[in-house]
Amino acid sequence: MLSPERLALPDYDYLAQRHVLTYMEDAVCQLLENKEDISQYGIARFFTEYFNSVCQGTHILFREFSFIQATPHNRASFLRAFWRCFRTVGKNGDLLTMKEYHCLLQLLCPDFPLELTQKAARIVLMDDAMDCLMSFSDFLFAFQIQFYYSEFLESVAAIYQDLLSGKNPNTVIVPTSSSGQHRQRPAVGEASLPEGVEASLFSQCLENLCDRHKYSCPPPALVKEVLSNVQRLTFYGFLMALSKHHGINQALGALPDRGDLMHDPAMDEELERL
Amino acid sequence: MIPGKYRSVSGRATNNVNCGLHLVIQTSSLPEKNKVEFRLNKETSSFPGRLLQHDLERNYSSRQGDHINLVSSSMPSFPILQRSSEEKILYSDRLTLERQKLTVCPVIDGEEHLRLLNFQHNFITRIQNISNLQRLIFLDLYDNQIEEISGLSTLRSLRVLLLGKNRIKKISNLENLKSLDVLDLHGNQITKIENVNHLCALRVLNLARNLLSHVDNLTGLDSLTELNLRHNQITFVRDVDNLPCLQRLFLSFNNISNFESVCCLADSASLSDITFDGNPIAQESWYKHTVLQNMMQLRQLDMKRVTEEERRMASLVAKKEEEKKRESHKQSLLKEKKRLTINNVARKWDLQQHRVTSIATNQDRKDTDSPSQDSCQMDGSTISAFPEETGPLDPVLTNALQGLSVTDTHLVEVEGDTLSLYGSGALESLDRNWSVQTAGMVTTVSFTFIEFDEIVQVLPKLKMKFPNSLHLKFKETNLVMLQQFNALAQLRRIDQLTIDPQGNPVVNFTLWKYYVLFRLSHFSMQKINGTEVTQNDMIMAERLFGILAHVASSELPQYRVISILGDARKKQFRYLQETKGKKPGIVNEENNDSKRLVGENTNRAMLNYTTRDFYNEKLEEIKEKKKFCQMYIEDLVKEATEINKKNEALQKLWPQMFIELVRDAVIEIRSKNSYMKLCLQQITDQK
Repeated sequence: MLSPERLALPDYDYLAQRHVLTYMEDAVCQLLENKEDISQYGIARFFTEYFNSVCQGTHILFREFSFIQATPHNRASFLRAFWRCFRTVGKNGDLLTMKEYHCLLQLLCPDFPLELTQKAARIVLMDDAMDCLMSFSDFLFAFQIQFYYSEFLESVAAIYQDLLSGKNPNTVIVPTSSSGQHRQRPAVGEASLPEGVEASLFSQCLENLCDRHKYSCPPPALVKEVLSNVQRLTFYGFLMALSKHHGINQALGALPDRGDLMHDPAMDEELERL
Repeated sequence: MIPGKYRSVSGRATNNVNCGLHLVIQTSSLPEKNKVEFRLNKETSSFPGRLLQHDLERNYSSRQGDHINLVSSSMPSFPILQRSSEEKILYSDRLTLERQKLTVCPVIDGEEHLRLLNFQHNFITRIQNISNLQRLIFLDLYDNQIEEISGLSTLRSLRVLLLGKNRIKKISNLENLKSLDVLDLHGNQITKIENVNHLCALRVLNLARNLLSHVDNLTGLDSLTELNLRHNQITFVRDVDNLPCLQRLFLSFNNISNFESVCCLADSASLSDITFDGNPIAQESWYKHTVLQNMMQLRQLDMKRVTEEERRMASLVAKKEEEKKRESHKQSLLKEKKRLTINNVARKWDLQQHRVTSIATNQDRKDTDSPSQDSCQMDGSTISAFPEETGPLDPVLTNALQGLSVTDTHLVEVEGDTLSLYGSGALESLDRNWSVQTAGMVTTVSFTFIEFDEIVQVLPKLKMKFPNSLHLKFKETNLVMLQQFNALAQLRRIDQLTIDPQGNPVVNFTLWKYYVLFRLSHFSMQKINGTEVTQNDMIMAERLFGILAHVASSELPQYRVISILGDARKKQFRYLQETKGKKPGIVNEENNDSKRLVGENTNRAMLNYTTRDFYNEKLEEIKEKKKFCQMYIEDLVKEATEINKKNEALQKLWPQMFIELVRDAVIEIRSKNSYMKLCLQQITDQK
């Protein structure tokens, strides 16, 4: 706990990084909300329970969306909770529409916004036929990427658009040999219309993005890995690749590997008991 | 009174009747048919003034053409008739040429004062050679083969024309016969009544056994008293009310099937005798009293006297029918009103649903809709047809269709065991004082064109007022989320649930039924949307969502559990308090409910539904608290960072401070003597 890195950061930065304040504020707020009930069994116990639930990841159950979105830990907990609660649906083999998945999400968070679910569905369906049915695992992994890294993905989308239209946000860094090519690209691009953008260029932009921004983004090494396999790729292709990447999933730590998605022996036991 | 000149020449008057004409053919040699056709009425004096009596001589027509010589004339085809002068003198005004096998009318010379001419039972095809007999009053051509009425234009004095049993196809060429009294055209092939409108002296018209399909064009027959139309194909009758003297009308054996086709008879004040036997109408159950009711002036129907009893029965039945008609009219009006109201509600609902899409188009729709809405608006906001504000409703009426509140914006209806609500305004009707019997009978409640969120708010009321409601139906209620089903858990019991796909997108989800079964498992529902719930369904539901419940109950911290449960209970209590007239048993109910909540799977109880509005309200309320918390925590953080800074500063300074402390101490102890003195002094100072 008393690690040197921790002490190295100035106070506010440290607090902000760990989102300590968020949880403190929320705890006090909850206390105020339910003071009649909590006063029965003591404030100390309340705080214990609260932070215990934060650790376990159950604090986000039936909470409002603004809270769930507030910290990466919350987001991961929510993903995990969603997986645990509705794994059985996936196990059953049912293919559901985007709207129905959204319904399930709403069971856990009443005001979950539809746009997020739609975006997640777009990843799975490659921006095509939004009424298609999706499997549980496909949707879950896509949703994970979309939800956990939403801000990152927005920036990536902006970069992608820029690249697509020929503008390069990193003209300073790109080596001069290829800059000439880039300036010519718009003219060429219209004629041949290649799908997506060039992977290496994209990769460089994303690296800069990860360095620049503070909020969570996937480990840059893994991103590079994804982009190194292909020459060109589309936005949704990229996202789909992200969602399917084991390493990123593990880095997130919320969900088990794809193969193990349907296994949860603890819960199965509980189910038997019911 | 029969004019004198028609009394028998030989002085043998038949009957002493004051008026009317009575045609009597009395010899047995005449065929029976003929007699019947002319409606022999032997009863004479009992019907004064109602019988047509033609005073004919009894002996008339008994002659079979005696002493008549038919001499072939110079003209090739026409025989010339000659009589002996003796006969001429004896029977100067009558001539009988019955059964003479005549094929043409003979020329009759020297008989210009002839008044009666009889050509019965011959084979005459054309009426000819009688134009000179200008005094003719009676012409009988019964049973011949005449195809066309002609050759009568000079017989201006003709009074009786008998053309029965011929082959006449058309009534024509009667223009000059203005004195015609009796016209007999029975047994012909006449299809239409025409060219008789000038016969203002005609009293008897016989058109039986023809091919008439309808009766009209009877204007002008101002003296007509008897009209015989038996054995035709008549389907409707008109113009009879234009016959001011018509007393007897015989329509037996035609094709009349309803009274509307002969309705003009009701307007005829003179009609007293009518026959309908042999018509389809006579087979109907309502025949007699309908006729009697519509023709109060009738004395005889189908040759039977109409008794007072019958008349009374007729009017009674008619009155009952009238009432029934009025009742059904009222019912159909009510139904129509209902239908229009439902249409109105549907339209409003549509507008509401499309409100979000685009305001521009909405404006258009509103503009086009409002005039039509105005036009189909009922008289203001008419409320119910039954008094209900004061006391409980009359239980007797529960069997019939009840439109309790029909305005143009919503509709509430109780039909037997179903309570139907259309439009959100209908929800207010749950506040009314429902009679225990009515409310107790209701087992099905149906909601249409109402937002589900609004229904959720009145569910407690529903539970209270209609305790036996077991089947809920939702149509066009905007059920979009599975979560909304959580709200139904607060009811007492549901056996059946019907969610109509129309207007309820939630039905499109694959898992909706299982979720319902899972969440409402404590109801042990039997049917969803008409299909039975099987054990497998229940198992599947548990399997799919069981973990959700487990997680919801076991993994939530205690304070969350309490707060969620507390919320639900608080809400219910609030609703109950808002109802008018707090019942004394309300506290007990509250306890029961809370007990019930515990009885229900508590893990499921976690799964609540708050309507969107409430949710947002709650979030708004929390905002202030959040702000306060933020500030409070900020203060704490400030304090903590200050202390931290101080701590850090101390950490930095401490080595230096420690060295100084040690140095000071060492310097102090360096000289033992002075140190001892110092300590002693300190001790004495202390005292």
